[in-house]
Amino acid sequence: MPIVTPGKRPAKRFEKSKILGGKMVKGRRATNAELNVVPMVDMMTMLVIFLLAQFSSTGEVLYMQKDIKLPDARHGQMIEIAPVVAIGADQVVVTGVKVADIPDLDRDSGYLNIPTLEERLRDEKKRWEFIHKSDPSSKWDGVVNIQADKGVPFRIVKRVMYSCGVAGYFNVNFAAIDAGSVAATQTEKTPAG
Amino acid sequence: MGAGGMPDEGGSGKRKRRSLDAVINVVPAIDLLSCCISFLLFTAVWTQISRLQVQQLGTGAPETEQTEQQKQLMVTLAMGERGFNLTTSAGTAIDIPALGRGEKGEIRFDVKALEGQLKQLKSGFPDASSITVSAEDTVSYGDLVQVIDTCVGAGLAGVAVTGI
Repeated sequence: MPIVTPGKRPAKRFEKSKILGGKMVKGRRATNAELNVVPMVDMMTMLVIFLLAQFSSTGEVLYMQKDIKLPDARHGQMIEIAPVVAIGADQVVVTGVKVADIPDLDRDSGYLNIPTLEERLRDEKKRWEFIHKSDPSSKWDGVVNIQADKGVPFRIVKRVMYSCGVAGYFNVNFAAIDAGSVAATQTEKTPAG
Repeated sequence: MGAGGMPDEGGSGKRKRRSLDAVINVVPAIDLLSCCISFLLFTAVWTQISRLQVQQLGTGAPETEQTEQQKQLMVTLAMGERGFNLTTSAGTAIDIPALGRGEKGEIRFDVKALEGQLKQLKSGFPDASSITVSAEDTVSYGDLVQVIDTCVGAGLAGVAVTGI
């Protein structure tokens, strides 16, 4: 038996029929359907423009953590790459390594420095010096980023700052959410007068 | 065929006319845009974080160079449970009391009043560009950053932080 295409197979006498012949005729429609891709290209172009506007060449210097809620600042500058000391509600972390617990720091409040933090920052400084050994033009600027939760008391921040200073990081940057761009956008939206 | 176009084929002439419609292959463009979107989505930074640069006193940090006029006026802002206390070496001493306590027991500082005083101070001493913020141990990081931000906004960009 020959292989036939599935579907209706009219009798030969029906094919010639004026009434039934038209219904049985098949395969007139083109199998290729043309899609209009212009709106899709438009949308993708808009997406690319938006994402390019959001693009940051420095990358993400600070990673937002769940237990750290940063305060807002309107007059901040662009953040720069430097070691990050993150102070949460429970612990102090330097570039992803825990160096102290907040309850322990509260317990021995008689001291101002945090030895483990100092040690870790000195290691970071040594690493920087090793990398820039053959580059006499580079100068040590001692920049450190402090990323702390809104509610962290100054007594903890003060100890962290002191330890940073003792380790050679005297240029402290406090991290904050940039509210300047948000405020500017809201001002633009508000009609003048 | 679009409106206003020439007939594609046929007509009374013997020569066949070429079609004016050209088909552009947009598949490479879509490929390129898809790659761009994927790359930009992966590398996008959604949260804009800024920094407020401060100096810390008493750790052997090198002091920034100041002119004689800048050295003449020293501005100190003490902040604690009572509020702000703004003093200058010119003899000014202004108290800005706190607005009370919040729901969680945090101190509510009168930052707007401080902003007004700092702007007034800056207009009186245009050369002043530095301020020392002395905070009590109980002051939270959020309040400290807000005060530093206010100082920078008022034109006192050289902020030094110290404890009381």
